[in-house]
Amino acid sequence: MTRNYAVPLDAVDRVELTTAGATVTKRIVADDPYIEGHYPGFPIYPGVFTVETVYQASRGLVESRREPGTRVTLAEVRSVRFKAPLRPGDELTAECELRDDPDDISRVLVVAECRRKDGATVAKVTLDLRVHEAGDHA
Amino acid sequence: MLEYAYLTRVLPHRHPILQVDRVLEYTPNQRIVAVKAVTGTEPCFAGLADGLPHSSFAYPSSLLVESLGQAGAALWVLSARDGGTVLDGTLMFGAARGFEFHGSAYPGDVLRHEVVVESLKENSAVMRGETRVDGRLIAVVASMLAIARPEAAVAGSVNP
Repeated sequence: MTRNYAVPLDAVDRVELTTAGATVTKRIVADDPYIEGHYPGFPIYPGVFTVETVYQASRGLVESRREPGTRVTLAEVRSVRFKAPLRPGDELTAECELRDDPDDISRVLVVAECRRKDGATVAKVTLDLRVHEAGDHA
Repeated sequence: MLEYAYLTRVLPHRHPILQVDRVLEYTPNQRIVAVKAVTGTEPCFAGLADGLPHSSFAYPSSLLVESLGQAGAALWVLSARDGGTVLDGTLMFGAARGFEFHGSAYPGDVLRHEVVVESLKENSAVMRGETRVDGRLIAVVASMLAIARPEAAVAGSVNP
């Protein structure tokens, strides 16, 4: 499968739309790209990949809702707090809430509660997305 | 100056997620300057469709966070060693606040990270930092927390 922008891995398996945004799942597997080095003999899904899961899913949602050619980038990780690790065999579920900025159509705030299948909170992530209109390659 | 081979004795990260290539400057308990060269052969640039614009080849933000975070982790581990102690447990990213992106890096660019200590403790470190490419500001982080967690606590998380 070809990609449209550089990513460390395909960090989203499934997206289910909700009224607030989406519920996103990613099953952690030992041969996920980059995991072999994080860490050898003791694989853990890197915390930044949980951010990547939230980012890829919310980016896709916003791009699909705006004009064709719209591109979304990450403006800021406002906050992220990692509470528990994810290891191969775990499943990450990110409950993502997307809030359009009422004052700026080029900004979308994403608040995500990330959990493991056992219910443990894995991370809380708040992202600020920047929306570029078609033709804007900045 | 600390080379890549030495960094593999400082950080637990290995290829391909070891995202720091060389340490240029280091002052124990205070500051580190480290670089990472971005190249088109990295796994994150695999599988891209033909005909994409330049913007599609931006080095992923998550890896930029990881790279700057690893520079901070190296500062923490080196400072502990120079102080005669060893960090106990698995090195983990604990939290970050105010990680802003002001530009992008592309294959051929060299990321220059500068990380400054806010506080160092036995099991945690708080730092802030920034990343530049040729002097151009790419990212700033107001605060990031690294923690050392006992390996048993991490291993116990797997669901049967």
